[in-house]
Amino acid sequence: MVMKPVPWQTGEICGPNAAKAMKSADVLKRDLKNCKKRLLIVGSDALTEKHGKGDMIDYAIALSKAGNMDIIATGGAIKAFVERSYERAKTMGAMELAYRLQHEDWVGPFGKGPYDMIMIYGIPYYMQWTLLSAVMNFGTHITAIAIGRYFQPHAKWSFPNMKEKQYHTILDEILELVGGGK
Amino acid sequence: MKKKAYFKADEAVTGLGRFKGLEVRIGTIVDDEWDEPMGPTPLPSPTDLRSWDHKLLTKYQPSYMPYCQVCCLCTMGKCDLTGTKRGACGLDMKGQQARIVLAAANIGCAAHLAHSRHLVDHLIEKYGPRTPLIQGPGTEIHAPVSRLVTGMRPRTLEDASIIIDYCETQLNHTLSAVATGQEGSWLDFESKVFHVGMVDQLGMEIADLAQVSTLGMPQADPDAPLVESGIGMMDKEKAIILTIGHNIVPAASITDYITEKRLWDQAEVGGMCCTAWDITRRDPKAKVIGPISWQLRFIRRGLADVVVVDEQCVRTDIVTEARKVKSPVISTSDKAVMGLPDRTDDPIDSIVKELVSGKIDGCYISDHSIVGEVATKVAIALKPSRRKMKFLPTKKQIQKMAADCKKCSECIRACPNNQNVMEAVLAAETGNLEPLREVYKNCIGCARCESACPNDYDLHSWMVVAGEADCKDEKYMVRTGRGAIQDTEIRHVGQPIVFGEIPGIIAHVGCANYPGGGDDVHHMAEEFAKRRYIIVTSGCAAISMGHVRDENGQSIYERRSGEFDAGCVVNVGSCVANSHIAGAAIKIAAIFAKRNLRGNYAEIADYIHHRVGAVGISWGAMSQKAASIAAGFWRLGVPVIVGPHGSKYRRMLLGKAEEERDWTVYDARTGDRVVTAPGPEHLFYAAETVAEANVLTAKLVIRPNDTGKGRSIKLSHYIDIHETYYGFFPDDIWKYIRRETDIPITLKNKILAQMKENKWKEKKIPDPTLLKEQVIGGGT
Repeated sequence: MVMKPVPWQTGEICGPNAAKAMKSADVLKRDLKNCKKRLLIVGSDALTEKHGKGDMIDYAIALSKAGNMDIIATGGAIKAFVERSYERAKTMGAMELAYRLQHEDWVGPFGKGPYDMIMIYGIPYYMQWTLLSAVMNFGTHITAIAIGRYFQPHAKWSFPNMKEKQYHTILDEILELVGGGK
Repeated sequence: MKKKAYFKADEAVTGLGRFKGLEVRIGTIVDDEWDEPMGPTPLPSPTDLRSWDHKLLTKYQPSYMPYCQVCCLCTMGKCDLTGTKRGACGLDMKGQQARIVLAAANIGCAAHLAHSRHLVDHLIEKYGPRTPLIQGPGTEIHAPVSRLVTGMRPRTLEDASIIIDYCETQLNHTLSAVATGQEGSWLDFESKVFHVGMVDQLGMEIADLAQVSTLGMPQADPDAPLVESGIGMMDKEKAIILTIGHNIVPAASITDYITEKRLWDQAEVGGMCCTAWDITRRDPKAKVIGPISWQLRFIRRGLADVVVVDEQCVRTDIVTEARKVKSPVISTSDKAVMGLPDRTDDPIDSIVKELVSGKIDGCYISDHSIVGEVATKVAIALKPSRRKMKFLPTKKQIQKMAADCKKCSECIRACPNNQNVMEAVLAAETGNLEPLREVYKNCIGCARCESACPNDYDLHSWMVVAGEADCKDEKYMVRTGRGAIQDTEIRHVGQPIVFGEIPGIIAHVGCANYPGGGDDVHHMAEEFAKRRYIIVTSGCAAISMGHVRDENGQSIYERRSGEFDAGCVVNVGSCVANSHIAGAAIKIAAIFAKRNLRGNYAEIADYIHHRVGAVGISWGAMSQKAASIAAGFWRLGVPVIVGPHGSKYRRMLLGKAEEERDWTVYDARTGDRVVTAPGPEHLFYAAETVAEANVLTAKLVIRPNDTGKGRSIKLSHYIDIHETYYGFFPDDIWKYIRRETDIPITLKNKILAQMKENKWKEKKIPDPTLLKEQVIGGGT
C-alpha cells in the first residue's frame, strides 16, 4: 500500500475527483507561487508525532516562519504552541474550519485572509477526510495540500501513503521549498 | 384531546334492546377535563413548525461535508454531484447531503418507533387497553413530550397507541420526502429532519412510559438500585444467558421464568446495550455486562451459554460468532430474524433439545412468553460441557501465528481508530502481548481488522487474550435507569438553571463508537459533575460512564447521588428514556415559568433555547438512531456535541459568532430587537478531542437569559476549563459580558482589560425570544 494514492482507511473512497499524488516537494512550486495567503492547519495528532529531533509542532512552527503562514491549531493542539510561546497560532475547531473555509470572504482569526491555500495535517484521518471534502466541494477557491503521511483523496495534493522515513524527508523538502530549511 | 374509542361486548342489555356480539366505535372524545388551553400546533404536520425550524436553521446553518459525491439511489444514476452539477432528478450536492441526513433520521426514528409500537401492542394484549400509564410519584406533568407535541395527556395504553398512530403517520410523510422527485430544498429537508427528530422523541417517551407503567421498573426514582456491571461480574459457576438489544419483552420472560422456578442459584442473566438497562430496571439481580461495542469481546470468551437477541444494535453476524463458541442464538424480533428457523410453534422441549444438541445454530421464537423457559433450559443444559471447552487461542499459539504476519498493514487501514494492530501483532511474535492489550483498551469491537487480515487471523480474540486480566477486573456498580424526573426536583432546580446559577445540564447519551476507549465518557462527566453541573445519562454512554473506579474502588454512580440536582449523576435508563431528558427541559418551562405545554411546541422550544443551559453529548455516536435523537434536541434548540467519528454524519449545524444579526432577538417586554452574545454558538458539532469537547461544553451552556450571577459562574468555568485544556485565557470573554455584574470577581482585572481592548459597551439584557408573537401585546 505504500506509495499508492489510495485512501489510507480502506473504506474512505471518494467520488469522481481525487487528489494528485505528491511524490516530491517540487510539484507544489506552481501552487506556492500562485497562492500567497496560506494557512497551516495543525490537528491534535501532531502532539504525538515525531519529526527529526522535535515533533510535528516544531515542524509547524518552522513551516509557519519559513512560509509566512498563519497557524490554526485544532482539537487542543494550541496548548503546545502556547507552551512554546509561538504567537502566530490560534485555535479553532476542525468543524468550524470546515465551515468557514467554504466562505470566500472569510478572513480568519488573524484577520489576514481570505486564504487561498491550506496545508493540513494532524487531524484524525477520517475527520480530516470530511473537512477536506467540505473544502473540495464548497470551498473551491482554496488549494488544499494535505501533508499528513497518508493519502487524503479530497485534497488537491496529498502524499501517497508514505513510509515514515520517506515522509519526514519530503516534509523537510517542503520546508526548504517555502523558504526554510536545515 | 382527540381520541378514538372502541369497545365490544359478547352480550349487552341496553335501553334499545339486547345485543349479541356488540362492537361500538366512536370517532373522537374530547378530553374536556383538562382546562389547559390548546396551543397552536397540536399533532403538527411536517410543515406546521417549519417557520420555527427555519429560524433555527438561519441561525445555525448546515455545513455539509459530503461523504459521497455521487447519488446512487435511482436508475438514472449514478449521478456526479461535484461542483455545481445537478443529478438527473435536479438535486444538487447540498440537497443530496440534506436528503441523506433525513434518510438517517428517518431510519433512526423508525427503529425506536417500531420498538414502541411492539411494546404498546404487546402490553395492551397482556394487560388491556385501559391500563393506566404511570410515570411515578411527583410527576403530575407526566408525558411532557406528548403534551407538548400532541396536545394530549396519555393516560392509558390505548392513548399510547393513538399517539403511536400519529408518529407512524408523520414518519411515513418524512420518509416519503426522501423519494426521488419529492423534496428539493436543503432547507426543507433539514426542517423535516427536525420534524422526524421530534416524532422520535415522542415515540421514545411512549415506549418508556408504557414499560415503566407495567413492567415493575423504577418510576422516577432517584434511588434506583445499584446493579452489578462488567464482564468480570458474570459468575461462571452459573449458566450464563446473554441478552442483547433494546426490547425488554423477551428478556423479561427470562428473568420472570428464573424467578418463578427459583433458578437464580443456577442461572445468570446479563445484558448488553439498552436491554441491559431495561432488564436491570425490571430485576436488579440481572447484570449490565457492557455497551454495544463489547459484544464480541464477551462472546469470544465463550461465557454466554445462550445468546438471546431482540432488536437494534445487535451484531448482524451474531449467529456466525456464537457458532464459533458453540452458543445457540435465540432471535426474538421480526426485525432481526438472522436467517434462523422459526420454532415458535414447536413444543418447548423439542426446541431445547435441538438447540442443546447443536443440530441447529439457533432459532427464531416470536412468542416471547416461551423465550424465558427455552433460553434458561438451554443455558443450564449446556453450561457443564461448555465450561470445559476452550475457545481462545493460547499465548503460545498467538506467538506462533504472529510470526507469519504478512506485514501488509491492512489491519491498521481497516481500524476506525487507526490503531497500530500490526505493530502489536509483531510484538506478540516476541511474546510481548502488552501492545495488543493496549489496542484492546481502545478497541470498539468492530473486528474490521480480522476481515482485512489476509491470514484470516482472529485478531480480536488475540486482543481478548492479551486483555484477559482487564476483563476479569471489569467489576463495577452502576445505578440502573430511574425513568422520568420528578416535578418536585424541577421545582427545586428550575430557577437556578434558568438563572444560570446551576451552570448547566450535560446529557451523555448514545452509542459506544469511541475514538479512544470508553473512559473518556467518565472523565468528561466527572469534570462537569465536580463543578456542580447536573449530569444526565442514558444508554451505552451511561454504561461506559460507570466503568471507571476511583482510588476507593467506587464508580461515579456510587460517589454521586441519582437526584436531578447540581453535582449529581442521573441515569434515566435505556435509549428510549432519552425522552425524559427532553422532558425535564420541557417541564422547566411548565413548572418554573408556568408556560402552557399543550400543543405549544414553538413557544416552549424558544423558551428552552434561550433559557435552559442544556447540552447533549454523544461521544460515541454511531447509529442513525443517535442522529434522530440529536434531531429531537435540535428542534428544541438544545445543542449537541458528538465525538470525532460524528463528523461522518456529514453535516454540522454551526453559528457564526461575529454575525450580530444571527444573535438578535426580540425583547418580549418591549418588542425591541436586541443583540445578544453568541450563545449557544453551535447546534451540532463534532469535537476532535476530549479537550475540545470540554471547552465547547462549558461555552455552549451560556444562554441569553442568564442572570449576572449565573453568567459570571458560567464564565468562570469556561475560563478555567479553557486555561486547563488550551493553556491560555480565552479571548472572547468580553463578548459574553453584558454588564459588569457578569464579570467573575476573581478575574475582574483581566476581563476589564480585554473589554477595554475590544471597545466593549454595556448591553441590554432582554427577555429573549425569536418569536414575534411572544412579545407582550403580540409585537404589533
